Amino acid sequence: MRFLLKRLAGLAVVLLAASFLVYGLLYLVPGGPMAFLLGNRSGTPEQIAAIRAQYHLDDPFLLRYLSWLGDALTGDFGSSLVYRQEVAALIGSRVATTVLLVIYATVLISAGGIAMGLLAGLRGGRVDTAIGVLSSLFLATPPFVIGVLLAIVFAVGLGWFPVFGPGEGLLDRLYHLTLPAITLSLASAAFLARITRASVREELNREHVETARARGFAERHIVRRHVLRNASIPVVTVTGLNIAGLIAGSVVVENIFALDGLGSLFVRAILQRDFAIVQAVVLVLVTAFVLINLLVDLCYSALDPRLSR
Amino acid sequence: MIRRAVPLAGLALALAACGGAPQQQQAPASAAPVALDLKTSTAAAAKGLDRVTWNLPYEPQTLDPIRSFNYAENTALANMCESLLRLTPDFTIEPGLAEKAENPTPTTWVYTIREGVTFWDGKPLTAQDVAASLKRHLDPALGTWWSDYFSTVEKVEASGPMQVTVTLKQADVLFNQAMATAAGAIVSKEYAAKKDLGSPTGGLMCTGPFEFGAWKSGDSLAIVRNDAYWDKALAARSKEIVFRFIADETTAVNALRSGEVDGQYFYLPPAGLAQLRESTTGSVTLGKSLTFWTLLSAAKDGPYADPKVRQALSLALDRAAISKVVFQGTAAPQRTLAGAEYWGYERATFEQAYRALPPETQDLAKAKQLLTEAGSPTEPITIAIQGSAATHDQTANLIKATGEALGLKIEIKVVPVEQYGNLYSDPKAREGVDAFFSTWYGNVPDPLDIYTVFQAGGRTNFNGYPAVDADIKKARAEADPAARAALVTGIQDKVTRDVAWMPLNNLPVILYMSDRVTGAVPSFPYLYYPWAAGLGAK
Repeated sequence: MRFLLKRLAGLAVVLLAASFLVYGLLYLVPGGPMAFLLGNRSGTPEQIAAIRAQYHLDDPFLLRYLSWLGDALTGDFGSSLVYRQEVAALIGSRVATTVLLVIYATVLISAGGIAMGLLAGLRGGRVDTAIGVLSSLFLATPPFVIGVLLAIVFAVGLGWFPVFGPGEGLLDRLYHLTLPAITLSLASAAFLARITRASVREELNREHVETARARGFAERHIVRRHVLRNASIPVVTVTGLNIAGLIAGSVVVENIFALDGLGSLFVRAILQRDFAIVQAVVLVLVTAFVLINLLVDLCYSALDPRLSR
Repeated sequence: MIRRAVPLAGLALALAACGGAPQQQQAPASAAPVALDLKTSTAAAAKGLDRVTWNLPYEPQTLDPIRSFNYAENTALANMCESLLRLTPDFTIEPGLAEKAENPTPTTWVYTIREGVTFWDGKPLTAQDVAASLKRHLDPALGTWWSDYFSTVEKVEASGPMQVTVTLKQADVLFNQAMATAAGAIVSKEYAAKKDLGSPTGGLMCTGPFEFGAWKSGDSLAIVRNDAYWDKALAARSKEIVFRFIADETTAVNALRSGEVDGQYFYLPPAGLAQLRESTTGSVTLGKSLTFWTLLSAAKDGPYADPKVRQALSLALDRAAISKVVFQGTAAPQRTLAGAEYWGYERATFEQAYRALPPETQDLAKAKQLLTEAGSPTEPITIAIQGSAATHDQTANLIKATGEALGLKIEIKVVPVEQYGNLYSDPKAREGVDAFFSTWYGNVPDPLDIYTVFQAGGRTNFNGYPAVDADIKKARAEADPAARAALVTGIQDKVTRDVAWMPLNNLPVILYMSDRVTGAVPSFPYLYYPWAAGLGAK
């Protein structure tokens, strides 16, 4: 319990620091939201003045940040400059898509990566080589290339999957998110396969495994009790870190498959200097990041009681 | 839906698509003049459909008419909200929600509102709604994007139950013409007072052939047929149009080819245009357009501030090569900024004046002579281009090569996408920039609409071009078409001969429709005219 409270206090500090940092950075970047509020071709001086006053664009930085913080603490994240909608509404409708995409990709990464890694690590030989080549290929190809190729082959060419869009209802959503999730997961799955293979190999050569073998334990028993259990610690770490990375990677994938996720909203908001949206998305992402790390730590203590303190 | 199982061919295409448009470093020795068959209509639909899916190049920021002055916004809005006047697909202005527009004194416009028109909720349209809609442009805090047309307006009042009078500070014919665009779009009085008008939650209340259905932020916008629409000739054929927002060009082209999306308007040729033209499931139509590609001048000193240098560069340019290399053969070379589509009145006068201007074809010998007359300047000319935009990059390379052939030094300065917009609005951003590229369009069929950018002190008169200010003021106040055409051709003459801005190529509307649908308007007025009303099955 104390451990949890500590972590939550830590989260609050991180959120505060992140929100200040992002606000400051956005403030320093040249070019404001004016062009998006008025368009490139219009804006009389009176209009510009009226809009600057309306959105407090001329207030000093600290004042703007503190007023944003005050509102945020009461649960009011303001409204988008460009879209003139409540940020909560804009984000709410998009969270589901991104969460589903990340979960789907995580399942693919964990299942695919660990299975491949175990196969390579326990079998060795040709299987190991083939998996090694394949994972190099996946690691070396940028996600946007993978995405475009998948779309051309499986969506336009064969017509097995839709080209774009998030779909409606759970099954249709999963169907729509299949190609994006594969795109998002290939590189990470390949990485995880390598890590799994390496740690399985390492465990197989350990003294206690040798001892167990000498005592005549069955191979299956050895693998399960000694190898997998110890090998899973680095695997869990990598998976946890990976999920956090997926949130960033989803930006590219959402763009390729025209998904209405947080990533695409975030990028557009940064370009348009839409402060309120950028801040809110950052807070959501940081929170997700910290919570995932917490989850990873909890998994550790379940796997190896010695690691929990 | 026809599907072809050709993954291998698909792979080759994908790789080609990743390379973008073919880069031709060698400009062809003066390509043949571009002859394009530009349309104003497509084959009529045989019957309506239950649902048509259409892609927008990005999600509209808003559907509030006063801030709808861009492609995606107007493409959607044009089917829902009608204006006082109507800009037809063949570039004429007709009565719209106003039966009559009268100009009893030079500074008043009196609009007689059409009887028997109802909003989607069944309430009748009155002068109150019209006045409330127009007045929104006069409140600086609402931030209209149409201030160019409302800058001369002093007041708007309902002068009768079905009559609205607009009083101007000075006579202005462009104000009245702008009432045929989204600047004159009418929403109900009740909605005009809404803070979130035109947002996904606020919605709209207008009179057009399609009603605002549902807007799922980030996903789609649906508009549904208005069965009580007043103008039977323009009643919607199909029940529902669903707009999607695929911003990525490759994905949009894929969605069109797979048939998941029935159509899209492109304002610039996409990298996958060849794939769309060869598509077995749909076809491309090029439409007449008011949009053009131009090099804006920003130089107040240095060589590019000298008209002779600008003329030399303009004469030396091979515009046919620009069309071929940059626009995949879709963009006809232009000799004036405002092309033939702008001649909405006194056509003969404009045509005669146009013929008298220097042609848009290359004349290197004359260009070299002009440059010598200008004293063969050695100082470089700096052209700003938008980062990661192929059209900018390729045109700049052609111009740079042209300059080298002439003996003019041209330097290219790349400005990131998100800062490029500042060039238009911020003089500081233009420091050290002599010229920059832009697509540009006027909104009404009058060349004056384009040439007003050269008014003294105008926000877009970047190089402070001085020669036509007085004539523009006169022309804006001239109600008589013949007299106005005489003034406007005079302005056009000066602007063109001095190359105030450099005309490059006309950019047609590029319309793709799947074989499932037909009947969309392919010409530029689709931005302000209910272009989807006729959309239906073949």
